[in-house]
Amino acid sequence: MEYPDKTLIRQIETLSGQGISDCYQCGRCTSGCPVVDEMDLNPRQTILLLQLGKAEEVLGSNGIWLCASCMVCGTRCPCEVDYARIAEACRAIVLRAKNSKVDPDSIKDENIEEIPQQAFVASFRKFAG
Amino acid sequence: MRYTYYPGCTLYTTARSLNDCALKVAERIGFELAEMPAWTCCGAIYNTNSDDLAASVGPVRNLARASQLGDKLVTLCAACYNVLKRTNTALNDPEKQDVAKRLLDYVEEPFERPIEVIHYLEVLRDDIGWDQIRGKVTRPLSGLKVASYYGCLMVRPPKVLQFDNPTNPMCLDDLMAAIGAEPVQFDFKTKCCGGYLVVSQHDVAVKCSRRIIDNAADYNADVLVTTCPLCHYNLDALQRDMKAEDPDFQPIPVLYFTQLLGLATGLRKRELALDYNKIDPRPVLKKVGNVS
Repeated sequence: MEYPDKTLIRQIETLSGQGISDCYQCGRCTSGCPVVDEMDLNPRQTILLLQLGKAEEVLGSNGIWLCASCMVCGTRCPCEVDYARIAEACRAIVLRAKNSKVDPDSIKDENIEEIPQQAFVASFRKFAG
Repeated sequence: MRYTYYPGCTLYTTARSLNDCALKVAERIGFELAEMPAWTCCGAIYNTNSDDLAASVGPVRNLARASQLGDKLVTLCAACYNVLKRTNTALNDPEKQDVAKRLLDYVEEPFERPIEVIHYLEVLRDDIGWDQIRGKVTRPLSGLKVASYYGCLMVRPPKVLQFDNPTNPMCLDDLMAAIGAEPVQFDFKTKCCGGYLVVSQHDVAVKCSRRIIDNAADYNADVLVTTCPLCHYNLDALQRDMKAEDPDFQPIPVLYFTQLLGLATGLRKRELALDYNKIDPRPVLKKVGNVS
């Protein structure tokens, strides 16, 4: 996967509307995150790497695909930085390069019958290119 | 009182019991929900990327159509409430008027008047009032310990939604108390159930939901109630997986708040649509009378 590296951080800031440098690494986002145990890069580390200019590492991490948009991180942040928006911007950069993370054909029939359609619409909006 | 009502897609399929009980209870309590014509999907989730205008077309069109009918739009699904209210707030944001204009030009529906998006619970709390609801109770749910689960979409982002205290909301608890049940205070009222991760990362959703069920069990809840079809699915149906991976797991029924409200205000058994619940609530509801 190739990304135009030097513009990536600016692109993430524009898409998310968040200032990467506004974060002072207190970690309140991460302490409230319900899926942090599954993440290779937690929300605080993700923003730290972006501050250090390492966007490629962030785009290749699994953390941005585990965000359930529960909005605890952004609600808690004392600096008004919203990690969920940053994760969404990062996902968009990957998805727009035609790398879908959810494949409708792989969903089992019984799940299609049972899971509320709002979950499919939301999942495809967040994870499909 | 008559309100314009937006049911949303899921309330027509897997969450029929949420919708049907709500409409019948409204009649009993003395207000009417008039379903708006020609509504479409709200988009199910609020998208945040600054250039992603397409995601707002659905909710903007619905809001514009609703504005032609009245100055309030009532929602019942937590996701619809979240998406429509946030979209409505963004449309009125003085700093986003260029985007708002582009969207409204695109949907070609006139925005007749400012509109307020409210939740069914806000109708009950702010317009009807707990006292009046208490007066409509024919079968108080005495002794039933209810853990009110709000999830994410009713309370966050708090600056926009302003529904209730974002870390310790009480609206559902107060309603449960009004219908005679015993509200159980637990820690994970607003902890995420995993939401749409159930589609792509099933096990993560099971883990998130298990945490909530276990926490409610620690506080001796008989049942949980929710207002979100997806939270309901995750908390109810995924208990199957919790049981499969841990034989000691004790299931707890999860109901829509409208089902308990219906039970307390005297809806007939079949109107409560308890058959749709994966964990059968009838054994525990025997505490408050025969519903089998």
